[in-house]
Amino acid sequence: MDTSSPSAFVNGSLMRRYIGQKVRTVIQVVGSDVGSVVGKSTDDLQIIVKGSPPTTTTPSTYLEVIGIAENENSIRAEVWTNFGNSFDPVNYNELCKLANGEFKHLFI
Amino acid sequence: MENSVTQDGIASLLSLDSSSVQPQIVVQVVDLKPVGNRYTFNANDGKMKIKAMLPATLTSEIVSGKIQNLGLIRLLHYTANDIPGKSGEKYLLVTKCEAVASALDSEIKSETKASTGIMLKPKQEFVAKSASQIINEQRGNAAPAARMAMTRRVHPLVSLNPYQGSWTIKVRVTNKGVLRTYKNARGEGCVFNVELTDEEGTQIQATMFNAAAKKFYDTFQKGKIYYISRGTLKLANKQFKTVQNDYEMTLNEYSEVEEAGSEEMFIPETKFNFVPIDELGPYVNQKELVDVIGVVQSVSPTMSIRRKSDNEMIPKRDIVLADETKKTVVVSLWSDLATELGQELLDMADKYPVIAIKSLKVGDFQGVSLSTISKSNVVVNPDIPEAAKLKSWYDSEGKETSMSAIGSGMSPSANNGSRSMYSDRVCLSHFTTNPSLGEDKPVFFSTRAYISFIKPDQAMWYRACKSCNKKVTEAMDSGYWCEGCQKKDEECSLRYIMTVKVSDSTGEAWFSAFNDEAEKMIGCTADELNVLKSEEGEGHEFQTKLKEATWSSHLFRVSVSQQEYNSEKRQRITVRGVAPVDFAAETRLLLQDISKNKKTSQ
Repeated sequence: MDTSSPSAFVNGSLMRRYIGQKVRTVIQVVGSDVGSVVGKSTDDLQIIVKGSPPTTTTPSTYLEVIGIAENENSIRAEVWTNFGNSFDPVNYNELCKLANGEFKHLFI
Repeated sequence: MENSVTQDGIASLLSLDSSSVQPQIVVQVVDLKPVGNRYTFNANDGKMKIKAMLPATLTSEIVSGKIQNLGLIRLLHYTANDIPGKSGEKYLLVTKCEAVASALDSEIKSETKASTGIMLKPKQEFVAKSASQIINEQRGNAAPAARMAMTRRVHPLVSLNPYQGSWTIKVRVTNKGVLRTYKNARGEGCVFNVELTDEEGTQIQATMFNAAAKKFYDTFQKGKIYYISRGTLKLANKQFKTVQNDYEMTLNEYSEVEEAGSEEMFIPETKFNFVPIDELGPYVNQKELVDVIGVVQSVSPTMSIRRKSDNEMIPKRDIVLADETKKTVVVSLWSDLATELGQELLDMADKYPVIAIKSLKVGDFQGVSLSTISKSNVVVNPDIPEAAKLKSWYDSEGKETSMSAIGSGMSPSANNGSRSMYSDRVCLSHFTTNPSLGEDKPVFFSTRAYISFIKPDQAMWYRACKSCNKKVTEAMDSGYWCEGCQKKDEECSLRYIMTVKVSDSTGEAWFSAFNDEAEKMIGCTADELNVLKSEEGEGHEFQTKLKEATWSSHLFRVSVSQQEYNSEKRQRITVRGVAPVDFAAETRLLLQDISKNKKTSQ
């Protein structure tokens, strides 16, 4: 398993801790522009993802994005994965909190 | 209205002998505390205190606040028993009492205020007064014959316990079992039991073995009243409990049973504990019997059903009952209830009578169904408030409303299966670390696990009758014979019966699975798998099918019980339901677990 560039699990409010570093998060697509996708994080904050998304960016689809956090609400994406329509954002949000809180030692 | 205790009440109670009638005493309840489902307290009369116990039947009065700690109660019926192991010290077993006053400010001590209630009178007068008081209260205008019963001190069934030696009870035999013979390691014997009910409606089961059985079998007749003494009591075996009583009675050859001549015993109104039709779900296929009350919407003609065990034809009639929950349920009446009562109901069907039935078995036919058994008791248009309420509801709105059958929303596998996949959730380690689970009666759990191994060379299925699913035997000529249906069929179906090994992060276990559940685990029917197994050529398809089933995860509903194998007790885990894993739901469970562990470690 390639652990050369680990990415931290973040939601909207945790992004600011990792500015300039690699992060991963899941957003729900709200809209898309040329070269960027606007989405809602699992804690209901707005995230802008720069890069070329896969073809299916219909609103309300969930996308996982791995990339560098440019500032506290935008990511320059390197990898995109379509997570479909049935995804539980609450569970993911709890995961982010635990992975950056008391169980941080298990992750990065 | 009394506001204080009977002076020297406890002293006078302790100095009584067993033949004189009990005075009614007012005492203060102190140190009230629950022990199991009963309450214990100290009875205080200002001068003395004595330990006392209230039966489980009065627990509701305490919980509702009628009987309070530091409050006053009047003891109506009680016995003073020696505390086993502590000679000299007695305790009061209170069987009847009434609340007199709510909690006082504090414990009453020696300097009591003058009581305005019961004044202490000379003992003899008191006793005489109480005797007539009791007779008047309990019997009203009693005929002389009834007073004769008072000379023999009759104990209420609710007061009996293993520590009290001499008692006499007056009971009606409400049910009598058959005389059965048995053979066990110690030899042969015969046994029968009777269900006894006393005036207060309390019931107890009495069993007689061998000599006692032979002696009393003809004496006891259903419906007759008897005085019984010199029996022994012990804690009831929960597995075989048929009546609501913590104890059960055994009579031996020295027990005394005397028919209560021409005396009439007031038949207590059959104590019903009604379950509304829409609440019958949890009782399906459980041992517990239920009582229901409802309006008869329809009565079917009599049908004749063949009993599988002895091929006898038994009459049956189905009636549909409806109640205020706007649900209906089918009740199957069997034997005499079908022929006689069923005909009565059919005749009055256009009047939509209300019937109350006690002791019904709850089955899962069409979701939920009710069935009468030998001890079921049916009362047509009973004179109880619930019946009146039902009748007026039906006449005003019930007749018009469209109701749905209780079973329709509830297919046992679909709804109940998925709902119960999240209750009583455990890991496999729960089974491995508790080898004696399910000792008394089977315990149910849900768990999430992976099938880790299916032995390819086990007997995975049995030959089953196409109609009743029971095992069939190969007939001499050709085809298969079903003992239950008493017929031969050229073909049979194969039904799964197998054990699989399952694993999770905490351990592993062996589960037994029957047809429906195994089908979900393997992904095809036993007949189909058999075809794959016996296929010519590569023969790999069978192995592949098993491989595909291995390392798949499922949610399981299981029951755990104990089985004896060559006098060794072994844990047996049986799969009752299989459902696919819902990852979002499982994640929520895990999150809950994590926060629970956090709380306990803080």
